[in-house]
Amino acid sequence: MLVQVQRIMSQATSRIVESVAAFVPGILALVAVLAGSVILAVVARLVTMRALGGVEFDRRAQQWGLGKLGEWSAAKSASAFVARTIQWTVLVGGLLVAMTALDAAMPSRFALSVFEYVPHVLAALLVLAVGTALAQFVARAVLIGAVNMQIQSARTLSLLVRWLVLIVAVSMAVEQLQIGRQILVLAFGILFGGVVLATSLAVGLGAKDVVGRAIERQLQRPRQERDHLDHV
Amino acid sequence: MASTGLSSSTPPDVAPAKGAAVVVGIASHDDEATIGTVARHVSEGLYPHRSAGCIVIADGGSTDRTLQRAYEAVAGACAVVTAPYERSAFEPLRSPYHGLPGRAAAIRAVLRTARDRDAKACAFVDARVTSLAPEWLPRLIEPVFDHGYDYVSPYYVRHPHEGAITKSIIYPMFRALYGLRIRQPAAGEFGCSTRLIPHLLDQGFWDGEEAETGIDLWLASAAAAGGFRVCEAVLGCRTHASRAETPDLSTTFAQVVGALFADLEARAETWQRVRGSMAVPAFGLPPAGGMSPPPVDAESMLDAFRLGFRALRDVWAWIVLPRVILELKRLAEAPAEQFRLDDDLWAQIVYDFALAYRARSMPREHLLGALTPLYLGWLAAFVMGTSGWNQKDIDDRVEQLCVAFETKKPYLISGWRWPERFRA
Repeated sequence: MLVQVQRIMSQATSRIVESVAAFVPGILALVAVLAGSVILAVVARLVTMRALGGVEFDRRAQQWGLGKLGEWSAAKSASAFVARTIQWTVLVGGLLVAMTALDAAMPSRFALSVFEYVPHVLAALLVLAVGTALAQFVARAVLIGAVNMQIQSARTLSLLVRWLVLIVAVSMAVEQLQIGRQILVLAFGILFGGVVLATSLAVGLGAKDVVGRAIERQLQRPRQERDHLDHV
Repeated sequence: MASTGLSSSTPPDVAPAKGAAVVVGIASHDDEATIGTVARHVSEGLYPHRSAGCIVIADGGSTDRTLQRAYEAVAGACAVVTAPYERSAFEPLRSPYHGLPGRAAAIRAVLRTARDRDAKACAFVDARVTSLAPEWLPRLIEPVFDHGYDYVSPYYVRHPHEGAITKSIIYPMFRALYGLRIRQPAAGEFGCSTRLIPHLLDQGFWDGEEAETGIDLWLASAAAAGGFRVCEAVLGCRTHASRAETPDLSTTFAQVVGALFADLEARAETWQRVRGSMAVPAFGLPPAGGMSPPPVDAESMLDAFRLGFRALRDVWAWIVLPRVILELKRLAEAPAEQFRLDDDLWAQIVYDFALAYRARSMPREHLLGALTPLYLGWLAAFVMGTSGWNQKDIDDRVEQLCVAFETKKPYLISGWRWPERFRA
């Protein structure tokens, strides 16, 4: 009986030791990968900061309409925001790689699915960045054009255009992230359909005379100017 | 380049024209209504040189009787050849302010013809100029023949309120840049010498995207920057039949001022070495009699400036210094009777926009569009401030503005050389 217990204990102990022995390299690898990713993340942040500083990214970001990146986050500037994003991306990537080093099934599957999702996140970020820059460009073009046509509500018009482009960009980004596709399309359709219908009704029923007079003014004013004064 | 290139219904070239001493180019496209008078007056103006004179019709593929009218009007009085040029496609939103798409190609065709024919002098006019008189030709050509000038810039007599872009920006800045007081450097007609022709043809601007609208100014700057002898010819009033729907003010403004800023970029090495300015001789006398003033609504211009300040203040803040924004705020709040735009402030604004154009602080069409309300503010102040003045007073006023541009030039040079110091 005692011998049997000793044998069972011995087998259990050896199994535990074997398991621990098999697990320790994974732990060591995890620690090593984590430490490496931390160092890599810090280096990536510093290098990014320096590189972006060299190309005057903050000033350019302001021009492209991305100047608010720094305000939206804890970072002080757009370049700091980008550097921090890269730092955290490297850290999270390192963590996921480290989890696969444990050779456990669940963490590995999780890491794999996260990696598969990364392209969607990158595409969404790209769409957002391009959308923001486009919104800035189009809004400024509309603002300047409207001012030169002497439209009093130039700022409102420009703001509307900016938000229209931004909403489209955000919708496309969310679509890339594969979040609530059906709901999004429906919400978009309802929102824009509603806005267009409401505007049509308002103009058609309530303000057609005002709109007519405004259009007439806009059409007549530049023509008079063109006909009589040679500016060159 | 010169070729008959005519349909069977068009008269052949009237020879001989090789070795012509004087070549006069007439740019045309579907101008049958006006080219006859222009060609006749040109041939009359060429009378002293008729044996060695040659008229070159630079035609952009007219579909009407333009060429026949020109030949009939000259009636063998001097040699006539055609130099077809490729007319760029008409785009309503990008139509040039002068109304002749392909103008640069037309001028180039005329200059090439003049070079090929060993012309001693060359002049260029537009077929739509209805006020062209025979005296214009001697005034454009004789300074070259008799006085050895290389470039003859026209000076048109205009009402003080006309040509405000030229008065407020083009002339003062051109003068400050190149040191020559050419009062209308972007004018449509010109005369040039045999020495200048190859220099002009060698310039790199002919095929550029902005050549369509900038060519007139760039010819003058090429002559000025090249150290050629430049003078003015007083031609009287210039009226012309419009070819197509001319673009609106902001588009016209962007085309003209954009051409100047582009020139600034192209000749930075030259203008940075120039200090001060000198007068150029003017040949001819202005016609007697005043001109009827064009209707100008200074109040609506002032409104446009105020609207610009309310809406574009943030855009301007990217381009001009903070103290300029404060000055503009004060102006936008001032009543009409106290509205005065200081010359130093205006020169500072224009130079800041030129620097921003170079630095590409924002898309260039946005930049030039954002300058338009400021120009309207300047024009409103000019109209209100010079009401009832005579020509001498107006000239003095413009001179004062030009001096401000010259005085501020070191600021432009500093900003150009060390742009990082001027960024916010």
